Amino acid sequence: MIDVAPSRPARDATARTVVVIVAVLLLTAGVLRILEPGRVAWVQAFLIVFGSLVVQAMPFVLLGAVASAAIEVFVPMNALERLGGLPGWLQLPAAAMAGVAFPICECGSVPVARRLAARGLSPSAAVTFMLAAPVLNPVVIASTFVAYRGRPSLWTMVVGRFALGMVVAMIVGWVIGGRSKEEVLRPRSDESNVALLEPAPPEARWRRLFLHTGNDFVFMGRYLLVGAAAAAMVQTFLPASFVSTLAGTPILDIAVMMGLATVLSLCSESDAFVAASFVQFGPAAQLAFLVTGPMIDLKLAALYAGTFRRGFLPMLVVTVFATTLVGTMWVMVAAG
Amino acid sequence: MKDSVAVRRATHARSQHNASTRTWSPGRIGGGLVLAAWAVLFWFLFLSERDRLYLSTRTSWVVPMGAALLTTAAAGLIASARVRSPRAIGSRQAWVMGLMVLPVVVILAFPPATLGSFSAGKRPGFSSTEIDGSLADAESGPLTLVDVAAARFSKAGEQALARRAGEQVDFIGIVTRFADTKADEFLLTRYIITCCVADATTSLVRVVNVPPGKFQTNDWVEVKGPIYPLGKQVIVDATSVVEVARPATPYLSP
Repeated sequence: MIDVAPSRPARDATARTVVVIVAVLLLTAGVLRILEPGRVAWVQAFLIVFGSLVVQAMPFVLLGAVASAAIEVFVPMNALERLGGLPGWLQLPAAAMAGVAFPICECGSVPVARRLAARGLSPSAAVTFMLAAPVLNPVVIASTFVAYRGRPSLWTMVVGRFALGMVVAMIVGWVIGGRSKEEVLRPRSDESNVALLEPAPPEARWRRLFLHTGNDFVFMGRYLLVGAAAAAMVQTFLPASFVSTLAGTPILDIAVMMGLATVLSLCSESDAFVAASFVQFGPAAQLAFLVTGPMIDLKLAALYAGTFRRGFLPMLVVTVFATTLVGTMWVMVAAG
Repeated sequence: MKDSVAVRRATHARSQHNASTRTWSPGRIGGGLVLAAWAVLFWFLFLSERDRLYLSTRTSWVVPMGAALLTTAAAGLIASARVRSPRAIGSRQAWVMGLMVLPVVVILAFPPATLGSFSAGKRPGFSSTEIDGSLADAESGPLTLVDVAAARFSKAGEQALARRAGEQVDFIGIVTRFADTKADEFLLTRYIITCCVADATTSLVRVVNVPPGKFQTNDWVEVKGPIYPLGKQVIVDATSVVEVARPATPYLSP
């Protein structure tokens, strides 16, 4: 239970703090209504893109928080210990395949993985699950099928995304190896964690379910906001023509699509439709987009930074980019 | 027997006492209010149909689902907010909760708006030439801006569209002008979204024979006239250009 803060906050919020916060919010609303910043074209574009990202993603963040809370409250510890008790060579494939059973997007899988690691699953298996779930889950596979239906590359994209996503997730898990959760997870201090939890005696399950759900929603939501703001800023100012000129160069086109997936920060349930619209890029580059996006993007980077220790993100970026680059080329060769 | 009854009575009295000493937890109330604020936003978007300004018709189901989930989560957290030994929340935690509510305030206070001509040059052109139906749509039936945009990204699509040269079209979009756009022309722009505005792509057609100075950038207009596909460029020779209100569904979906 790493989420339970053992000590009191350094400085308690007072009634005055609450009044100031409410005043700031009301002032913001008033300024928006009076000054109409939408008259400035880039401000309007930024706010619309930012709004669309958070409106689309926030329900999935909540779904992830519910799944995370359900694991905490309802999944018995020995079930996870059984997964951890599998032979070493079987743990990572089993963790990746467990992602098939969880229809959650990448935002939601982060707290679930954290919870799994905190509950005793090895960090390598937990991270494998975290990376695999947003790629392998049935909703994502279905959306990929719908997006590419009627195209010659349909099965290359659907099967390729599933298989390559699983392989990349397992390779990252293998790179993490036998590190302990203390070496991988960033501890939540009382101040860095929005600790809604009370260090109280055990409560009814339904109370704990809502408690953990609310806690994880606020914890993840703030990182989503930062990531969505960054993505909206990039999308507001990055000219499309700049991207299109790179599409015709082999290997570089794959790298560009991986970079684009990182910048756009789309939800894995919906990114196949966007990837399918980039026909300037070949199937290999589109597949790289579909595998990389759910594992690394701007909003996830913020989430990872708040969840894992400092060295995790660079390791993840290098491993995912390298294995995806090689993997997509291999899939295209195999698919003819 | 008397002893066991006494123990039961004492336990009951203790639980009654504990229950009566439950007080509101500021952290749980704060978290519940954050969830409630988001629930209000989602209900507002759903009931006012403003979700169309952010999401495509394919993904609009997210809004009622999110509203229901957020409402349930908020109600559940507030219902479980009475605890025996509540802790105060930190000042920083309170500000984080305020930050979480800020986008709700911004979206609610921001007047209804759509992507304008500013984004036209920063968005890729829509293309779905390999999707079944795109070519067929360009070959028969009333042409839409989605058909036109999709057909322009392949030889077969261009040829299918070229066969319809001279046919009357009726398009609605926003007026876009670049630095080199002539006074009697504009680019009719419509954004196509598959999931949300973040993945918006453009469909652009060049409209000629427009009364100079009559229409301003970002005006919503309905253009009628014959269409002339010329390779990558598609021209509409306007016989009628009328300013119209923004459509209820401003973004097109493939």
